[in-house]
Amino acid sequence: MSNCNCEQPLVPHIVEVIDIVEETPDVKSFYVKSVGGGLPYQVMPGQCSMLSLPVGEGMFSCTWQEGQEYQQYAIKRVGLLTEELHRIEVGQKLGLRGPYGNGFPIETSRGKDMLFIAGGIGLAPLRSFIKHCFKNRSDYGKITIIYGSRSYNDLCFKKELFEEWPSQPDTEVHITIDNPEEIWKGHVGFVPAYVEELAPDPAGKVSVTCGPPIMIKFALQSLQKLGYQDEQIVTTLEMRMKCGIGKCGRCNIGSQYICLDGPVFDLTQLKQLPQEW
Amino acid sequence: MKILAKDKVQALLDKIAQQATVYVPMAIEQGSGFYPWNEDNKEKPLLLDALNVYNSPKYVVFPQTERMYDLKQQGQELSIDKTYEDSSERVIFGVRACDARAMRSLDDVFLTRGFEDSFYKARRDNVTVIGNACYNPGVNCFCGAMGVAMTEPETDVIIRDTGNDGYIWEAKTEKGEKLTALVAEFLVDKELKYPEAKSFTTQVDYEGVAEKLKSMFDHPLWQKMAEPCVNCGACTYICPSCHCFDIQVKMWGDSGYRFRCWDSCMYAEYSAEAGGGNPRPTGVERFRQRFLHKLEFFNERYGYSLCTGCGRCTIVCPAGVRITDIINEIKEVDSSVEL
Repeated sequence: MSNCNCEQPLVPHIVEVIDIVEETPDVKSFYVKSVGGGLPYQVMPGQCSMLSLPVGEGMFSCTWQEGQEYQQYAIKRVGLLTEELHRIEVGQKLGLRGPYGNGFPIETSRGKDMLFIAGGIGLAPLRSFIKHCFKNRSDYGKITIIYGSRSYNDLCFKKELFEEWPSQPDTEVHITIDNPEEIWKGHVGFVPAYVEELAPDPAGKVSVTCGPPIMIKFALQSLQKLGYQDEQIVTTLEMRMKCGIGKCGRCNIGSQYICLDGPVFDLTQLKQLPQEW
Repeated sequence: MKILAKDKVQALLDKIAQQATVYVPMAIEQGSGFYPWNEDNKEKPLLLDALNVYNSPKYVVFPQTERMYDLKQQGQELSIDKTYEDSSERVIFGVRACDARAMRSLDDVFLTRGFEDSFYKARRDNVTVIGNACYNPGVNCFCGAMGVAMTEPETDVIIRDTGNDGYIWEAKTEKGEKLTALVAEFLVDKELKYPEAKSFTTQVDYEGVAEKLKSMFDHPLWQKMAEPCVNCGACTYICPSCHCFDIQVKMWGDSGYRFRCWDSCMYAEYSAEAGGGNPRPTGVERFRQRFLHKLEFFNERYGYSLCTGCGRCTIVCPAGVRITDIINEIKEVDSSVEL
């Protein structure tokens, strides 16, 4: 099943885009399958792939669930490659290599209550873990999701956020936007402050945070304030990457390569690393 | 023991060159480095007596620019038609212990910890290395302080210069035995005394430095040490163990190729993110990254220093940054001082 390109890890497979969904004004989801059909390779929640067009390659978090014949990538338009990706249409062939990285602690989190904290496009990686929890609902306790974006329009995956997830058993979804808007009747304010306001009890919980680096920094501080222990605080890091396989050098923090040893770390591990994230 | 007479060296190189590309230390124009032993180069001066030539043999296994695969795009179609793993036979003659250690660090990076880099592996598997043991370290040499044994280069064959009597030739690996069999006609059996090793003139004390650096990430010393550095990257290009690379593309219309090329942690673009962030925004962070990688991070991951004490960066640095001074300063400073 797995088509890991282990023989030539730097040479991509060719995959086909079978669907494109506009999530927000600057985020699109791309659904890809192997040329000729079928799943390119299995991916654990939190793992990533290198997607490429001739203009360049970039590392993106992948969403895939057992049984699906395709992978999904939610990609924000920020640079050269993502500009190009946002211009392509269904049927476009892309380069794809992976899966890379360690993924989320889905096994060790079993039996725990889950607290997911996300900002902006940071919901994309968490979403694969969230979906995994819902698919294996009895393996996990209460699920709390705290998510925020700059504006209502920037909230990703609205159907899941507002309809699918809140209707799941024993699940709370809390949404906030940075600044007030006429259309928005919900909470206004930054994610870390909202976390403190909601103050989810640390007992029996694993927290998983993903978002822009500045949000992560403050969210981790908020969690510590609320009494979360280092091993209960899980987050993902990102750095510029080129190879994805721990060779090209640039994504290191201390002796760890984010592409290979990460992107998922808990605070116990992060405290052993230089504060360069 | 087997002895290679000095006047047989060229004939031996000719013989190997019939089967493989042979790289030898030579002076060409203003520079020196490892160049192919071929008709064009044969007349140029062989530098077997020099300690370190200017350019290390790193590029033989890890070229400065390496084409990886061809790309073609037509409309929505995309194809990769050809990959360029190069497995032709190569022999590097006269590698010093520092550069041999650097090659071991490249092996560890490219061939271990989860993934094998197929482009590196194709080259490396088909390279035989003949080391030239050092007995008289130069003024910039400090490999001994970095845990490298100058008289025992980690290579397939070791040659030891005994002076006028020729080189002692010792095969150290299976590849080395194979090469020895190929050149048997140039080797004679004779007993010679090993040359006597002289001591280092550059004094460096790396003992405990990697461990000490673990608590010095935010130390003000970095600011001071980085001050003269202009982030030109010369040290990273001349370094035999620097292995960072970029992946880039060259397209002419619909077709082209993806290649990798040496990159340098000295440049802002190296770690600049598409979203606008950069975890190493100024020269100080980049300087710190380079030296911590050499002296601490690599050690933590692979068990030995990434600096092999070859001294090249000291020679090329236009700003007078000396890694030996850096090591000694770290050794001396009070590590508890924080910003």
